[in-house]
Amino acid sequence: MLFEKVLYPFDMRKASLKVKPYVMKLKEAGCREVHVIYVMVPSEWGLLSREEFDCEEKIEALKGTMDEGFVSGLLKIFRKMKEVATEFEENGVKTRVVLVPGELDETLAWYADKYGIKLIALGVTSESLSFFRVGKILDIIKAVSQPVLIVKTPEEEDGEV
Amino acid sequence: MPLFKKTLYSTDFSPLAEVALDYVKKLKEAGEEEVVVVHVVDDLSVELPDGTDLLKEEDVYKILPEVDQEYLINLIEKLNAVKEILEDEGLKVKIYLKYGNIPKQIVSVADEEKVRLIVMGAHGKGLLSEILLGSVSTDVIREAKCPVLIVKRREE
Ligand SMILES: Nc1ncnc2c1ncn2[C@@H]1O[C@H](COP(=O)(O)OP(=O)(O)OP(=O)(O)O)[C@@H](O)[C@H]1O
Ligand SMILES: [Mg+2]
Repeated sequence: MLFEKVLYPFDMRKASLKVKPYVMKLKEAGCREVHVIYVMVPSEWGLLSREEFDCEEKIEALKGTMDEGFVSGLLKIFRKMKEVATEFEENGVKTRVVLVPGELDETLAWYADKYGIKLIALGVTSESLSFFRVGKILDIIKAVSQPVLIVKTPEEEDGEV
Repeated sequence: MPLFKKTLYSTDFSPLAEVALDYVKKLKEAGEEEVVVVHVVDDLSVELPDGTDLLKEEDVYKILPEVDQEYLINLIEKLNAVKEILEDEGLKVKIYLKYGNIPKQIVSVADEEKVRLIVMGAHGKGLLSEILLGSVSTDVIREAKCPVLIVKRREE
């Protein structure tokens, strides 16, 4: 089953939403489960140990160690991802929504192996692939052992969702 | 939505490109109808204009030494073999054998044919077997306007 379980990294940008219809369409080719993941990179969220935040309670529990504004930021992201997941659920695809702290490439590679992911679907901006920002996306493709679907969005069509 | 209706399969006939072919076949279930199969050569003993169509422009064979001619004939056979495999799956197939800069030619066929997706391996026949992402894949990811599916290893 080549497309059975898809990992869909979501980062609150329009570019990451662009890949959604493709993943939806893959249901016809056997996609049964979609994991929507947000990686909490240390440069934005500080150093946290690897943990899978897959419900609001776990995120709320961060209030002890993390600034409240940060926690409500995470909750906002989580709820948006749940919204995205609902669309898949309504289409008969199982979903999991999760936030995981760590570096982007390492975390996605670790998660994909742990959950037997078959395909990683990345929505990126064309600019993120430019020579000025070499690395990020290409590093993900290098780090993971699963096939990667890359859907590009022109920079000017990107923005916060 | 016809997202996968027409795809481009780029192959260097390496084992990983063969794995990519499984994905091309599978996409039929998600609405794929037509596949454009592309191979590009950049290593002939005579320099030809970038983008020369080695299936249509038969005249160029006259200026090529015999070794090159045999090499190309062999590649055409391989392309036809892939075509047959995909036609057996019920797909419409078009093949291309181009001369020139490899990633540039792949992207230009993708544009001309207005394909919806490019399917290719993460690496290929390059000499470094430990390479994680080949130069052709890297450039196609950067330059292509359509989505790209980069296939890694065979699924167990
Ligand atoms: N000549 C070619 N024609 C068509 N497709 C190609 C060609 N060469 C490579 N490809 C495609 O690109 C994929 C990756 O190959 P690439 O050439 O980038 O890796 P490599 O050979 O391991 O490294 P490099 O060529 O940089 O040494 C292949 O699996 C194939 O799908
Ligand atoms: Mg190569």
